[in-house]
Amino acid sequence: MKAKILYFIAAVCFLATGCAQETKMIDTMNDEGKAVMDLDYRDFDMAASKMVQSMLGSGALKKPEGDRYVVATGRILNDTTQRIDTDQLMVKIETEILNSGQAVMTSAIGSGSDALLHETRELRDSEEFDPGTVAKRQTLIAPELTISGKIFQRNIRYDRNTQQVEYYFQLKLSDVKSGLRFWQDETLIGKRGSSKSVSW
Amino acid sequence: MKKLEFVLIGLIVFASGCYKHNEPRVILREDVGSDTAGSNIVTEPIQHAFSALIGEGIEVTNAVTRRNDAGFLELYVNGRNASYNTKRFRYKVEWLDADGLMIETKTSVWLPMSAMGKSPFTIKAVAPRPQAVNFRMDTRTWE
Repeated sequence: MKAKILYFIAAVCFLATGCAQETKMIDTMNDEGKAVMDLDYRDFDMAASKMVQSMLGSGALKKPEGDRYVVATGRILNDTTQRIDTDQLMVKIETEILNSGQAVMTSAIGSGSDALLHETRELRDSEEFDPGTVAKRQTLIAPELTISGKIFQRNIRYDRNTQQVEYYFQLKLSDVKSGLRFWQDETLIGKRGSSKSVSW
Repeated sequence: MKKLEFVLIGLIVFASGCYKHNEPRVILREDVGSDTAGSNIVTEPIQHAFSALIGEGIEVTNAVTRRNDAGFLELYVNGRNASYNTKRFRYKVEWLDADGLMIETKTSVWLPMSAMGKSPFTIKAVAPRPQAVNFRMDTRTWE
Protein backbone atom coordinates (compact mmCIF):
# COMPACT_ATOMS: atom_id res chain seq x y z
CA MET A 1 0.00 0.00 0.00
CA LYS A 2 2.81 2.38 0.99
CA ALA A 3 4.65 1.64 -2.23
CA LYS A 4 1.53 2.47 -4.26
CA ILE A 5 1.18 5.84 -2.52
CA LEU A 6 4.86 6.59 -3.10
CA TYR A 7 4.52 5.72 -6.79
CA PHE A 8 1.45 7.93 -7.03
CA ILE A 9 3.20 10.90 -5.37
CA ALA A 10 6.23 10.42 -7.62
CA ALA A 11 4.00 10.37 -10.71
CA VAL A 12 2.17 13.53 -9.62
CA CYS A 13 5.47 15.32 -8.96
CA PHE A 14 6.81 14.23 -12.37
CA LEU A 15 3.70 15.49 -14.15
CA ALA A 16 3.66 18.76 -12.23
CA THR A 17 7.29 19.53 -13.09
CA GLY A 18 6.59 18.75 -16.72
CA CYS A 19 3.83 21.38 -16.81
CA ALA A 20 5.80 24.21 -15.21
CA GLN A 21 6.86 26.96 -17.62
CA GLU A 22 10.62 27.20 -17.49
CA THR A 23 12.05 30.69 -16.97
CA LYS A 24 14.63 31.62 -19.57
CA MET A 25 16.85 34.65 -19.99
CA ILE A 26 16.16 36.66 -23.14
CA ASP A 27 19.03 36.84 -25.58
CA THR A 28 18.76 40.59 -26.00
CA MET A 29 21.61 40.63 -28.54
CA ASN A 30 19.86 38.28 -30.97
CA ASP A 31 16.30 37.94 -29.77
CA GLU A 32 14.34 35.71 -32.10
CA GLY A 33 11.19 35.86 -30.02
CA LYS A 34 7.85 36.62 -31.63
CA ALA A 35 6.74 40.22 -32.01
CA VAL A 36 4.16 41.44 -29.52
CA MET A 37 1.39 43.99 -30.03
CA ASP A 38 2.63 46.20 -27.21
CA LEU A 39 5.89 48.12 -27.35
CA ASP A 40 8.78 46.02 -26.10
CA TYR A 41 12.49 46.71 -25.66
CA ARG A 42 13.22 45.83 -29.31
CA ASP A 43 10.94 48.62 -30.46
CA PHE A 44 12.65 51.15 -28.21
CA ASP A 45 16.10 49.94 -29.37
CA MET A 46 15.05 50.33 -32.98
CA ALA A 47 13.45 53.75 -32.52
CA ALA A 48 16.42 55.06 -30.53
CA SER A 49 18.93 53.74 -33.08
CA LYS A 50 17.09 55.36 -35.99
CA MET A 51 16.64 58.66 -34.15
CA VAL A 52 20.29 58.89 -33.07
CA GLN A 53 21.56 58.13 -36.56
CA SER A 54 19.21 60.70 -38.03
CA MET A 55 20.15 63.38 -35.47
CA LEU A 56 23.91 62.88 -35.68
CA GLY A 57 23.84 62.45 -39.45
CA SER A 58 22.00 65.75 -39.85
CA GLY A 59 24.87 67.70 -38.31
CA ALA A 60 22.44 69.58 -36.06
CA LEU A 61 24.62 68.90 -33.02
CA LYS A 62 27.79 70.23 -34.60
CA LYS A 63 28.53 73.60 -33.06
CA PRO A 64 30.07 76.05 -35.54
CA GLU A 65 32.92 77.10 -33.22
CA GLY A 66 33.88 73.47 -32.62
CA ASP A 67 32.68 73.69 -29.03
CA ARG A 68 30.03 71.39 -27.52
CA TYR A 69 26.36 72.25 -27.14
CA VAL A 70 24.62 71.94 -23.78
CA VAL A 71 21.44 69.97 -24.29
CA ALA A 72 18.48 69.59 -21.93
CA THR A 73 15.79 66.96 -22.21
CA GLY A 74 12.35 68.50 -22.24
CA ARG A 75 9.00 66.80 -22.00
CA ILE A 76 8.55 63.49 -23.78
CA LEU A 77 4.83 62.87 -23.80
CA ASN A 78 3.52 59.34 -23.60
CA ASP A 79 0.26 59.47 -25.53
CA THR A 80 -0.14 55.72 -25.80
CA THR A 81 -2.49 53.54 -23.84
CA GLN A 82 0.48 51.79 -22.27
CA ARG A 83 2.32 52.70 -19.13
CA ILE A 84 5.67 53.71 -20.55
CA ASP A 85 8.62 55.31 -18.86
CA THR A 86 9.88 57.54 -21.67
CA ASP A 87 13.39 57.22 -20.23
CA GLN A 88 13.42 53.83 -21.93
CA LEU A 89 13.83 55.81 -25.15
CA MET A 90 15.58 58.93 -23.95
CA VAL A 91 18.38 57.35 -21.92
CA LYS A 92 19.62 55.57 -25.04
CA ILE A 93 19.48 58.80 -27.05
CA GLU A 94 21.11 60.89 -24.32
CA THR A 95 23.86 58.28 -23.93
CA GLU A 96 24.64 58.39 -27.63
CA ILE A 97 24.59 62.20 -27.73
CA LEU A 98 27.06 62.28 -24.84
CA ASN A 99 29.30 59.61 -26.34
CA SER A 100 29.31 61.31 -29.73
CA GLY A 101 31.46 64.04 -28.19
CA GLN A 102 29.44 66.77 -29.88
CA ALA A 103 27.21 67.79 -26.98
CA VAL A 104 26.81 67.47 -23.22
CA MET A 105 23.54 66.85 -21.45
CA THR A 106 22.55 68.98 -18.47
CA SER A 107 21.15 67.57 -15.25
CA ALA A 108 20.33 71.06 -13.96
CA ILE A 109 17.02 71.46 -15.71
CA GLY A 110 14.47 69.53 -17.71
CA SER A 111 13.04 66.07 -17.36
CA GLY A 112 16.48 64.60 -16.76
CA SER A 113 17.21 67.00 -13.90
CA ASP A 114 18.87 65.89 -10.70
CA ALA A 115 17.16 67.32 -7.60
CA LEU A 116 20.39 67.04 -5.59
CA LEU A 117 21.98 69.77 -7.76
CA HIS A 118 19.52 72.24 -6.25
CA GLU A 119 19.44 70.72 -2.79
CA THR A 120 23.21 70.97 -2.44
CA ARG A 121 22.97 74.68 -3.27
CA GLU A 122 20.69 75.17 -0.30
CA LEU A 123 23.63 74.21 1.95
CA ARG A 124 25.29 77.59 1.46
CA ASP A 125 24.08 78.85 4.83
CA SER A 126 24.64 75.56 6.63
CA GLU A 127 27.29 75.56 9.32
CA GLU A 128 27.86 71.84 8.82
CA PHE A 129 29.45 72.18 5.40
CA ASP A 130 32.71 73.77 4.35
CA PRO A 131 31.53 76.83 2.34
CA GLY A 132 34.44 76.36 -0.05
CA THR A 133 33.05 72.96 -1.15
CA VAL A 134 29.50 74.19 -1.76
CA ALA A 135 28.66 75.23 -5.33
CA LYS A 136 28.78 79.00 -5.81
CA ARG A 137 26.03 81.10 -7.27
CA GLN A 138 25.77 81.44 -11.05
CA THR A 139 27.80 78.34 -11.76
CA LEU A 140 25.14 76.30 -13.53
CA ILE A 141 25.30 76.35 -17.32
CA ALA A 142 22.04 77.05 -19.12
CA PRO A 143 21.06 74.71 -21.98
CA GLU A 144 21.44 75.88 -25.56
CA LEU A 145 19.36 73.12 -27.13
CA THR A 146 16.36 71.15 -25.92
CA ILE A 147 15.00 67.80 -27.01
CA SER A 148 11.30 67.16 -26.68
CA GLY A 149 8.77 64.95 -28.33
CA LYS A 150 6.08 62.37 -27.92
CA ILE A 151 5.15 58.76 -28.46
CA PHE A 152 1.62 58.19 -29.60
CA GLN A 153 -0.50 55.31 -30.71
CA ARG A 154 -3.29 54.73 -33.21
CA ASN A 155 -5.44 51.62 -33.15
CA ILE A 156 -7.13 50.68 -36.40
CA ARG A 157 -9.50 47.84 -37.07
CA TYR A 158 -7.90 46.03 -40.00
CA ASP A 159 -10.58 43.41 -40.47
CA ARG A 160 -12.93 41.39 -38.31
CA ASN A 161 -10.19 39.48 -36.51
CA THR A 162 -7.18 41.68 -37.01
CA GLN A 163 -6.22 45.01 -35.56
CA GLN A 164 -3.46 47.33 -36.61
CA VAL A 165 -1.54 49.35 -34.06
CA GLU A 166 0.69 52.20 -35.16
CA TYR A 167 3.23 53.67 -32.77
CA TYR A 168 4.76 57.01 -33.69
CA PHE A 169 7.99 58.20 -32.08
CA GLN A 170 8.51 61.91 -32.69
CA LEU A 171 11.45 63.98 -31.49
CA LYS A 172 12.57 67.54 -32.13
CA LEU A 173 15.71 69.49 -31.28
CA SER A 174 15.24 73.24 -30.74
CA ASP A 175 17.58 76.14 -30.14
CA VAL A 176 16.73 77.84 -26.83
CA LYS A 177 17.83 81.36 -27.81
CA SER A 178 16.17 81.64 -31.17
CA GLY A 179 13.42 79.05 -30.75
CA LEU A 180 14.40 77.64 -34.12
CA ARG A 181 14.08 73.94 -34.70
CA PHE A 182 17.39 72.40 -35.81
CA TRP A 183 16.23 68.83 -36.33
CA GLN A 184 13.17 66.65 -36.09
CA ASP A 185 12.24 63.14 -37.10
CA GLU A 186 9.59 60.49 -36.76
CA THR A 187 9.88 56.71 -36.54
CA LEU A 188 6.83 54.57 -37.16
CA ILE A 189 6.47 51.07 -35.78
CA GLY A 190 3.42 49.25 -37.09
CA LYS A 191 2.02 45.98 -35.82
CA ARG A 192 -0.83 43.85 -37.08
CA GLY A 193 -2.24 41.02 -35.02
CA SER A 194 -5.22 39.41 -33.45
CA SER A 195 -7.96 41.70 -32.18
CA LYS A 196 -7.95 39.63 -29.03
CA SER A 197 -4.46 40.79 -28.11
CA VAL A 198 -5.71 44.31 -27.38
CA SER A 199 -2.95 46.82 -26.76
CA TRP A 200 -4.82 49.06 -24.35
CA MET B 1 -3.02 23.25 -85.82
CA LYS B 2 -0.56 22.25 -83.12
CA LYS B 3 2.14 23.99 -85.04
CA LEU B 4 0.21 27.25 -84.84
CA GLU B 5 -0.10 26.94 -81.05
CA PHE B 6 3.64 26.34 -80.73
CA VAL B 7 4.35 29.36 -82.90
CA LEU B 8 2.02 31.54 -80.83
CA ILE B 9 3.53 30.44 -77.50
CA GLY B 10 6.99 30.85 -78.96
CA LEU B 11 6.16 34.37 -80.09
CA ILE B 12 4.77 35.31 -76.67
CA VAL B 13 7.86 33.96 -74.91
CA PHE B 14 10.18 35.60 -77.39
CA ALA B 15 8.39 38.96 -77.36
CA SER B 16 8.05 39.16 -73.58
CA GLY B 17 11.64 38.06 -73.05
CA CYS B 18 12.94 40.71 -75.44
CA TYR B 19 11.25 43.71 -73.89
CA LYS B 20 13.51 45.89 -71.83
CA HIS B 21 13.02 49.56 -71.20
CA ASN B 22 16.06 51.78 -71.40
CA GLU B 23 15.93 53.55 -68.06
CA PRO B 24 17.38 51.29 -65.32
CA ARG B 25 16.50 53.83 -62.61
CA VAL B 26 12.78 53.36 -63.21
CA ILE B 27 11.19 50.08 -62.17
CA LEU B 28 7.96 49.16 -63.92
CA ARG B 29 6.24 46.44 -61.93
CA GLU B 30 3.86 43.72 -62.97
CA ASP B 31 0.61 45.12 -64.38
CA VAL B 32 2.17 48.57 -64.70
CA GLY B 33 4.68 48.23 -67.53
CA SER B 34 4.70 46.00 -70.60
CA ASP B 35 5.08 42.29 -70.08
CA THR B 36 8.54 40.89 -69.51
CA ALA B 37 9.60 37.28 -69.22
CA GLY B 38 9.08 37.55 -65.47
CA SER B 39 5.60 39.04 -65.66
CA ASN B 40 4.12 37.40 -68.75
CA ILE B 41 1.24 35.06 -67.99
CA VAL B 42 2.89 32.19 -69.88
CA THR B 43 6.51 32.60 -68.84
CA GLU B 44 6.02 33.98 -65.33
CA PRO B 45 5.54 30.64 -63.55
CA ILE B 46 8.60 29.19 -65.25
CA GLN B 47 10.75 32.21 -64.43
CA HIS B 48 9.56 32.31 -60.81
CA ALA B 49 10.07 28.59 -60.36
CA PHE B 50 13.55 28.80 -61.82
CA SER B 51 14.38 31.78 -59.59
CA ALA B 52 13.23 29.87 -56.51
CA LEU B 53 15.08 26.74 -57.66
CA ILE B 54 18.42 28.47 -57.94
CA GLY B 55 17.70 30.28 -54.67
CA GLU B 56 17.87 33.87 -55.80
CA GLY B 57 17.86 36.37 -52.94
CA ILE B 58 19.59 39.50 -51.72
CA GLU B 59 22.81 40.46 -53.47
CA VAL B 60 25.11 43.22 -52.27
CA THR B 61 26.55 45.32 -55.08
CA ASN B 62 28.88 47.54 -53.07
CA ALA B 63 29.38 49.29 -49.74
CA VAL B 64 30.43 52.91 -49.78
CA THR B 65 31.62 54.91 -46.77
CA ARG B 66 32.15 58.62 -46.50
CA ARG B 67 32.67 61.06 -43.66
CA ASN B 68 29.85 63.59 -43.38
CA ASP B 69 30.14 67.30 -42.51
CA ALA B 70 29.58 66.52 -38.83
CA GLY B 71 32.59 64.19 -38.83
CA PHE B 72 30.70 60.88 -38.63
CA LEU B 73 31.26 57.93 -40.93
CA GLU B 74 28.28 57.21 -43.17
CA LEU B 75 27.72 53.82 -44.73
CA TYR B 76 25.67 53.11 -47.84
CA VAL B 77 25.19 49.45 -48.70
CA ASN B 78 23.77 49.10 -52.20
CA GLY B 79 22.26 45.86 -53.29
CA ARG B 80 19.56 44.14 -55.26
CA ASN B 81 16.85 41.66 -54.49
CA ALA B 82 17.37 39.12 -57.27
CA SER B 83 14.30 37.08 -56.38
CA TYR B 84 10.75 37.79 -57.52
CA ASN B 85 9.41 38.00 -53.97
CA THR B 86 9.77 40.81 -51.46
CA LYS B 87 12.63 39.95 -49.12
CA ARG B 88 12.35 41.06 -45.53
CA PHE B 89 15.40 40.75 -43.37
CA ARG B 90 17.21 42.33 -40.45
CA TYR B 91 20.67 43.85 -40.41
CA LYS B 92 23.04 45.06 -37.76
CA VAL B 93 25.98 47.40 -38.33
CA GLU B 94 28.89 47.42 -35.92
CA TRP B 95 31.49 50.16 -36.09
CA LEU B 96 35.22 49.62 -35.77
CA ASP B 97 37.87 52.09 -34.64
CA ALA B 98 41.35 52.60 -36.10
CA ASP B 99 42.63 49.59 -34.15
CA GLY B 100 39.90 47.39 -35.62
CA LEU B 101 38.14 47.19 -32.26
CA MET B 102 34.38 47.31 -32.04
CA ILE B 103 32.88 50.52 -30.73
CA GLU B 104 30.19 49.84 -28.15
CA THR B 105 27.06 51.75 -29.10
CA LYS B 106 23.33 51.54 -28.58
CA THR B 107 22.71 52.06 -32.26
CA SER B 108 24.13 48.62 -33.13
CA VAL B 109 20.84 46.74 -32.96
CA TRP B 110 18.96 44.56 -35.43
CA LEU B 111 17.04 46.85 -37.75
CA PRO B 112 14.39 45.77 -40.25
CA MET B 113 14.78 46.10 -43.99
CA SER B 114 12.50 45.23 -46.88
CA ALA B 115 13.43 44.99 -50.56
CA MET B 116 10.86 44.38 -53.28
CA GLY B 117 11.41 41.66 -55.84
CA LYS B 118 13.85 42.36 -58.66
CA SER B 119 14.62 45.78 -57.21
CA PRO B 120 17.65 47.64 -55.98
CA PHE B 121 17.84 48.84 -52.37
CA THR B 122 20.13 50.92 -50.18
CA ILE B 123 20.81 50.61 -46.49
CA LYS B 124 22.13 53.76 -44.86
CA ALA B 125 23.79 53.83 -41.47
CA VAL B 126 25.60 56.57 -39.55
CA ALA B 127 28.35 55.84 -37.04
CA PRO B 128 27.52 57.56 -33.73
CA ARG B 129 31.21 58.21 -32.89
CA PRO B 130 33.77 60.15 -34.89
CA GLN B 131 36.34 57.43 -34.02
CA ALA B 132 34.65 54.95 -36.38
CA VAL B 133 36.77 54.24 -39.45
CA ASN B 134 35.37 50.92 -40.63
CA PHE B 135 32.32 48.71 -40.17
CA ARG B 136 31.03 45.18 -40.26
CA MET B 137 27.48 44.24 -41.05
CA ASP B 138 25.48 41.12 -40.33
CA THR B 139 22.08 39.99 -41.60
CA ARG B 140 19.43 37.54 -40.49
CA THR B 141 15.93 36.57 -41.47
CA TRP B 142 12.96 38.62 -40.32
CA GLU B 143 11.24 36.34 -37.82
